[in-house]
Amino acid sequence: MIVLGLMVLAVAFGPAIIRWTTGFTADSIPSDGDLIKSFPPSWQHPMGTDEAGRDMLARVLQGGRISLMVGIISTLVSLVIGVSYGAIAGYMGGRIDNLMMRIVDIIYSIPYILLVVVLLSVFGGQNTPEWIQWLSARFGGAGNQGLNQIFLLFFALGLISWLTMARVVRGQILSLKNQEFVQAARATGVSTFGIIFRHLVPNALGPVIVYATLTIPSVMLSEAFLSFLGLGVQAPYASWGSLASDGIKNIGIFPWQMIFPGVTMALTLFSLNFVGDGLRDALDPQTRKF
Amino acid sequence: MTRVSFVQFRSILAIVVLSSFLISCSTRASSRYFGQTQVPSDNIMRYTTGSEPESLDPQFVTGQPEARIMMAIYDGLVEYHPKTMEPIPAIAESWELNKDGTEYIFHLRKNAKFSNGDPISAETFAYSFRRGLSPELASRNANLAYYIKYAEAYNADKSFVKNPDGTFLHKAELEDKKDAPAAPETAAHETVGIDTEFHKYLDEPERLTVPSDEKERNKILDKDAKLKTALAGKELVPVKATDIGVEAIDEDNDPKTPSYTFRIKLYQPAPFFLGLLAHQFFRVVHQPSIEKFGKDWTKPANIVTSGAFKVKTHRPYDELTVTKDPNYWDAANVRLDGIEFYPLDEQTTMLNLYKAGRIDATYNHTIPAPWNETVRQYKDEYSLHPEVAVEYYSLSVKKPPMDKINVRKALALAIDRDALAKFRKTIKPLVDFTPEGIFPKYEEARRKVYAEELAKIGSNLDEWKARKFDAEKARKLMTEAGFPVQQTGSGYSCPTFPVDAVTITYNTAESNQKVAEFVQAQWKQNLGITVPLKNMEFKTFLPFRSAVEYSGAVRNGWVGDYMDPFTFLNLFYSPQNDGATGWWDPKYDQMLDDANKETDEMKRYEILARAEYYVISQQIVIPLGVPGTSWVKKPYIKGMYPNPGTLHPWKFVYIERDQNKWNVSMDDIMTTEDPAVEAQLKTLTATQTEAAEKAKMAEQTAAAPREAAKTAKAE
Amino acid sequence: MLSFIIRRLLIIIPMALLVITVTWGLIRLAPGTFYSTEKKLPPAVEANIKKKYGLDQPVWKQYLLMLGNITCRTKSADETTTSGVQFAIGSVNVKCFDFGDSLKYPDRSVNQIIRDHLPYSATIGILAYILALVVGLGAGIIAALKQNSAFDYGSMTFAMLGLSVPNFVLGPILVSIFSLTLYLFPPARFGGVSSLVLPVITLAAIYMAYIARLTRAGMLEVMRSDYIRTARAKGLNEKTVLLKHGLRGGIIPVVSYTGPALAALLAGTVVVERVFAIPGLGTMFIQSILNRDEPLTLGIVAFLSIMIMVFNLIVDISYGFLDPRIRYE
Repeated sequence: MIVLGLMVLAVAFGPAIIRWTTGFTADSIPSDGDLIKSFPPSWQHPMGTDEAGRDMLARVLQGGRISLMVGIISTLVSLVIGVSYGAIAGYMGGRIDNLMMRIVDIIYSIPYILLVVVLLSVFGGQNTPEWIQWLSARFGGAGNQGLNQIFLLFFALGLISWLTMARVVRGQILSLKNQEFVQAARATGVSTFGIIFRHLVPNALGPVIVYATLTIPSVMLSEAFLSFLGLGVQAPYASWGSLASDGIKNIGIFPWQMIFPGVTMALTLFSLNFVGDGLRDALDPQTRKF
Repeated sequence: MTRVSFVQFRSILAIVVLSSFLISCSTRASSRYFGQTQVPSDNIMRYTTGSEPESLDPQFVTGQPEARIMMAIYDGLVEYHPKTMEPIPAIAESWELNKDGTEYIFHLRKNAKFSNGDPISAETFAYSFRRGLSPELASRNANLAYYIKYAEAYNADKSFVKNPDGTFLHKAELEDKKDAPAAPETAAHETVGIDTEFHKYLDEPERLTVPSDEKERNKILDKDAKLKTALAGKELVPVKATDIGVEAIDEDNDPKTPSYTFRIKLYQPAPFFLGLLAHQFFRVVHQPSIEKFGKDWTKPANIVTSGAFKVKTHRPYDELTVTKDPNYWDAANVRLDGIEFYPLDEQTTMLNLYKAGRIDATYNHTIPAPWNETVRQYKDEYSLHPEVAVEYYSLSVKKPPMDKINVRKALALAIDRDALAKFRKTIKPLVDFTPEGIFPKYEEARRKVYAEELAKIGSNLDEWKARKFDAEKARKLMTEAGFPVQQTGSGYSCPTFPVDAVTITYNTAESNQKVAEFVQAQWKQNLGITVPLKNMEFKTFLPFRSAVEYSGAVRNGWVGDYMDPFTFLNLFYSPQNDGATGWWDPKYDQMLDDANKETDEMKRYEILARAEYYVISQQIVIPLGVPGTSWVKKPYIKGMYPNPGTLHPWKFVYIERDQNKWNVSMDDIMTTEDPAVEAQLKTLTATQTEAAEKAKMAEQTAAAPREAAKTAKAE
Repeated sequence: MLSFIIRRLLIIIPMALLVITVTWGLIRLAPGTFYSTEKKLPPAVEANIKKKYGLDQPVWKQYLLMLGNITCRTKSADETTTSGVQFAIGSVNVKCFDFGDSLKYPDRSVNQIIRDHLPYSATIGILAYILALVVGLGAGIIAALKQNSAFDYGSMTFAMLGLSVPNFVLGPILVSIFSLTLYLFPPARFGGVSSLVLPVITLAAIYMAYIARLTRAGMLEVMRSDYIRTARAKGLNEKTVLLKHGLRGGIIPVVSYTGPALAALLAGTVVVERVFAIPGLGTMFIQSILNRDEPLTLGIVAFLSIMIMVFNLIVDISYGFLDPRIRYE
């Protein structure tokens, strides 16, 4: 929890502090040709530099912004959509369940990359419809293509991350819905909505939260892949996922390029996981103290 | 919870640190060679080619990975020289060119055979050329052969126009008289071979061709009233495969026996055409098996090949093995027993295999920049030689602010190319458009022409060279263009420059990204403008670039198709050019046309250099660098040279078992003579050298060119 | 139950067609063509290509032709293709399930490509699945039973490590250690049992971790539920309680998760295939999309979607066996 808090603070204010103290930013390539290479960690660059001579610390902190945001927001989206969708399908059963789950199957089967390529060409390029531009101008402020991109990214990630979540939740609900406490609730006249969200969902939370914490790393990695297609964080900035995937290629030569983003990412995921465990304990109806 | 997390953190840290320690220990350069270096027990080379070949049909495939495989299994009229990539004799043992440079006569070897034993003759070549151009094959390389007379007309499904009297309408008849050539073409033509009926037809002035498809034709006719009246009521005769300018000359007038003289007729002189003939598109394919098996002819069970090696097995995406073909005419000089091609394009995977001693050589650009410093220490294995290729940024010259020439010049000057070369490690700085270190004679002509042109504007070559980087001048030009650059603190700012209107767009690839980041940083430091970057998936990128949808700068590059500067200068030729800038100038086209009509080599180069000066002084593109070969091979692989296209004629390659004879330094490999390869080359080129000398002597003794040809043929 | 299965199997056909139609539309919407390359094509060459592949026909005709090819249509006499299933009804020749030739690799039919490459990904996928299931379930169950023990923390740390280290990082690390330092296993390429070790471990790692954590959570949930308490109260021994009652309920989330996961594993995973240069279906799939190789994309999508739907059906059926309270009407 503490680590997570520190991490959030670090990525929020870190880049500015580094800039103020050392003058390095995530995108500053030295003008001297001899300095454009990867230096090992030193006092000046605590995490070393990358091939272009950029300070790794600044890059890692900058990258954390996008990665944390992507990880947490997409997971929340998948929680909200996935849990309600799966719960409704599982509880309603019959035709509704069948229809809803077939929709999930279909979305799952459509090639995702192709979808992103088309999305990008329709929304990301010059041909962006006006209402999207209007939206991004409203909420983006800066008025460049950057924010448009971030909206698209969340859309693209949110599109798939809830699918498996829905299946997991539905499976749990199916096994829970015939239990005594549900029948009891039904008998006392609790509304369907109430049964689903007040009685069933809290009881299915264990696996749901585990699955949610598992979603975060996979979403961060999908983000690294999406930047290959031109969606996501634009160079010269990089996310943790892309820093790690760039770094791994050079692990034999410049291990610091891999280790620092890798360890930062692993630490964060670890702490997120403990937060998840804590949340489950707090929300679990069977251990909850009334 | 706190205690647990501490234990867990400690264990994760321990594992990461341990593994990185292991890895860093393992990669330190300790021995003379990179990884395991043991001569393979068999005489088979293992090579990685890049991505899986699209097909084994030489006339269909387009990429470089394919080209290398096709060179092993197909042979053509000529072959690339292993070092210089100049054409050397292959199935054609000698050739002649007529005086105006539009006709080639090839004298073929009589012992050339396909892998199934069938003879290779002039007829086989005629078939192969016609097949490559057929609209049904729809080859993407067909335009390489458009220099051949009526080749385009056949490929584009056009028709001749027949007059009622049986003659055909000629192109010149419709053109304005002032443009028509002063002398009728018929009289000027000379040939070096036998004059046949077919040759007489080819020697006629160029016939008019119009689209066979009615809709297409009407589109043109509607625009051109004169053409419409000329065509009215006349019969259209579709151009057939047999109408194109290739001919198997039947010397003994017996159509049943194969003939061994092959003639190619071009529309206009194209001095680079001979070099182009080594391209896989012009290599010879086996008619009976293609006709028998249809599209399945390339299956390993059916395929009949013509090269030094034949296909043994093919497991797509895994392995293609070829073995030495005993039927190959030069089999005695093929020294490998076979080659295993592994389709791989992941650089790290490839280097891992190389290091583990499981492949013997890689192809060009396979050493990632970060690895470069480590790998280049292995001097006996690492090759870095200039390529016949350029990297540049195209600019959207029709859109503001790039429509201002001073903006373009400022942007070009504000990039420190020496620093870029240091950063990327494998490219050499470039300020002109044709690569340096590839065409020495052309560069000589270029220096001369540039000195003249620069003197006109009161400049000189040294100042010209300084364009590699001049931040001061860049700021001055930018200010002159209406975007004043001010000094702010230690940096600069240029508040009026519309950075939101431009981007640097590139297709996703690590090296493209690094270059773009560097250029962005340079412009920021030297001009105070921060141009956003944008990456795109390749197939999305292509139409975006070629239709000039971008605004600002876009990543571009070109690999030469043949060893002549024209392959680069051609990029800005015609309104639909490949430069992707939106720029086109008929004056430039005229200069290139004039150059190709010139038969004197140096004079031609001078005209080309003038054209290059013309285009580069407009700065429609920003040249960045000439890429280097950057690949590795084990020292026991010999006869394999880092030529400008990394295209290896495999029959020269061999495995040296005697460690004392291994390659010592790749840096000197191009100047070191390998006796085995030199002897092989000498035997091969002897026939052509002799023929050329005979022809020269005959000319000197003032004999008619026709006579000379006959003597040469009698050889 | 039987009618439920039949109904679900039947509905797969229209669903797969729907997926194919959407995919086809997406391919047509995506910029770029299969023949576009670095070098611009002259108009005549482009026209020849369009004609050869029927791209000069109206779009609806192209769509219907595609649909006919991949389902069933009559075969005319001049067609020589041997791809797909062909048979004759009376004098009419019928041809079914023919996805045509790849556009990028014109020598090979799509059906052939899938047949060629599936075994590679399936071998590695199934091995990884078994490994993940055995290790993941085992570790998850033990961790749940010995909650808060050293084993619990140790295995869960390991599982979290497996998740925090993505496979594109894990693969190269394994290669560096086992192939390039210890020279134990080949660093890449498919061939022999030893070449399978590293890719299977790399691929299984993340699934192993998922399964271990899901099992542990599911088991913990179930072991506290009333029926387990009842079972214990009945005096059943701990082993029976665990395996007969606990596990069946506890692995439901694992089952929901591994259904689609198995389909994905069989179809190949790009990262592992690329790191180890294995010619599996995953790389083919991604490449076909990036190459705009329409027939190949459609072929793999059809195959994949049917697999996913079948596996999900199996998952749904197994729910009933695992937990008697789940019923399908």
